[in-house]
Amino acid sequence: MSILLQALLNGVMNGALIAVPAIGFTAIFAVLRYPNFAIAAYATIGAFAAWWVNVHFGAGILPALLVAFAIAGCIGVGAEETALKQLRGAGALTVAIGSIALNTVLENVVRLFFGNDLRGYDLPLVPDWRFMGLRVGPQQLQSLAFAVVIMAAVFAFLRYTRFGKAMRAVADNSDLARLKGIEPAHVAVMTIFLGAGLAGVGGVLIGLDASIDPLLGFRVLLTVFAAAVLGGLGSIPGAVVGALAIGIAEECALLVAPASYRSAVGFAAILLVLTVRPRGFFGERAN
Amino acid sequence: MSRYTINRRHFLGASSLLLGGAALPSFAWGEGEPIKIGTLTPLTGSGGPYGPVMADTVKAVVDEINAAGGILGRKIEVVSEDDQTNPEAGVRAARKLIDVDAVSAIVGTWASSVTTAVAPLCWESKTFLATVSGADSITELPHQGYLARTQPNTTLQGRKFGEFAVAESAKRVFFVSPQTPFADSQFQNITKAIEAGGGETASLIYDDKKPSYRSEVDELLRFNPDAVIFGGYAPDTTVMLKELYRAGYQGKKIAFAYAVNEKLVDSVSAEIVEGCYTIAPSSDESSTAYQRLVELIGVDKPDPYTVQVYDQINLILMAMAAAGETTGTAIKDNIRKVSQAADGAKVDNARDGLKLIAEGKAVNYDGASGPCDFTDKGDISDSSFRYEQVRGGRLTLVKIA
Repeated sequence: MSILLQALLNGVMNGALIAVPAIGFTAIFAVLRYPNFAIAAYATIGAFAAWWVNVHFGAGILPALLVAFAIAGCIGVGAEETALKQLRGAGALTVAIGSIALNTVLENVVRLFFGNDLRGYDLPLVPDWRFMGLRVGPQQLQSLAFAVVIMAAVFAFLRYTRFGKAMRAVADNSDLARLKGIEPAHVAVMTIFLGAGLAGVGGVLIGLDASIDPLLGFRVLLTVFAAAVLGGLGSIPGAVVGALAIGIAEECALLVAPASYRSAVGFAAILLVLTVRPRGFFGERAN
Repeated sequence: MSRYTINRRHFLGASSLLLGGAALPSFAWGEGEPIKIGTLTPLTGSGGPYGPVMADTVKAVVDEINAAGGILGRKIEVVSEDDQTNPEAGVRAARKLIDVDAVSAIVGTWASSVTTAVAPLCWESKTFLATVSGADSITELPHQGYLARTQPNTTLQGRKFGEFAVAESAKRVFFVSPQTPFADSQFQNITKAIEAGGGETASLIYDDKKPSYRSEVDELLRFNPDAVIFGGYAPDTTVMLKELYRAGYQGKKIAFAYAVNEKLVDSVSAEIVEGCYTIAPSSDESSTAYQRLVELIGVDKPDPYTVQVYDQINLILMAMAAAGETTGTAIKDNIRKVSQAADGAKVDNARDGLKLIAEGKAVNYDGASGPCDFTDKGDISDSSFRYEQVRGGRLTLVKIA
């Protein structure tokens, strides 16, 4: 029993890490209607930006997260405006492929400046707490708390601010939004900033658990994508639920199958869900 | 411009001159025609940093033996070719060595892909091949004895990990590794060594693309190991080490030196890797053969491949002398007689060895890379390994054994 509980607990913690970049991914999809695979590079860039201020200026984790959000967001907007914007006219598939190319370019720019070496944050590693035969890491709890706060902030932003409402309006029906005087181009820039910034924050949280190298984002890209698809592309609550579902499915899979099949079991679960419910948990349009 | 054009007549003239020139020394030596040995090392490509020194080392040894009178009254001639770290170029160069130069042996193939491509040409033409490639599959080829290697394969490396754990009095050993071509064979050989020491093993193969391994570590801890052996590379081993630290694992940690390297040790907080052991194949730096080699080629810390090729050429020369014949088959049939004769006098170089052989005595060569004893399949049965431990945040040499 405690084994199962532990697996659930691990699943929630892993899922929360994936949820943050998944929100970014799905938000971009909601407004711009294409899957932006460059979020892997934005996650890597965020992790490196946070590492830079952490190691060189002794910044704590909170300021490092803010820096990661801002830098990843700005680079996201810059890359979108220079590289992907021109492709939008050619359809979502073209932009998606363009974003894969952009991802590789950005990843290699990171490699050019920082090299291939492994890095780690200059933060003490804390042993796990144990209670009732379960094991939780204070650091994971902290990451989980960050993830929850970030998700709450995103929800509040979308619900209560003018810009958030505008984003939702464009996501819902961009023509109607334009008629109401909302400028979709501005909303697009803001969304990219938010999406890339969230990916950057996710990169930092992942880097806290693992180590930082130029492939950090790329390694989790497929899982992030799957979480967004599972939750229903374009739905922000969906991305959270999808990420948690994948996290839990993968961890529980370890109880019945060898660890090397972990991803396969997780993705088999996704196939199953999508077969029954093609638009994902919360997707409104299946297109 | 036409002054530099080569027409067919010029070409024929020039090449016959060249060929004639090449043939001259053999006429000059009369019946003591030189014995030819080929080096096929990577002078370019990813093995480029090693190949040139390897070829020079073979020449240096041969020069020394020639100065001392050669073998069976004949001089030895080294023909060096470049395999470009590329199987296709390797095959072309090997054909030239075998068909044109008629070498008795080829030494020094480096990349496993090149060795795998060149080996069939060698055994078909009864040419002996000595290699520094590590892939397990190489000695599984049907080479009929015409192949030997001095690089420890993963079977031997696995055994060393197991034996080290036993020596550190570990009874319950857990092996964690991502899916690699050698994970299975490594685990099997760790298990053999541990079970021989009365212990138990378990293993877990993980997906190395995951940002955390909490549930994997839970499974590992349920086995209650007193030693964990890491089979992975640096990025995933970092994550695994962090998880183990968080989980409060207190037992021993043993990893490949290429995974827990200086970069990894620098990138994590000291307490995470403190006490971790690393293991890597090593030259036997304390051996007299190694010291002789350093003097001979004037390189302070020769790389492992140079060290191995030094042993290969010494062994091949002595095998020819012991056989009284210089063919590839003679080398094949006699190399173990000079490398591991139970009653043989220990020698660390061919010059001393050849004197003893001329006196009709048996020799047993102990080289710069290790004892240089071969199994029937052509693998070395033992080798030196370098054991280090992270102490005070630095990799510290424990022993070379």
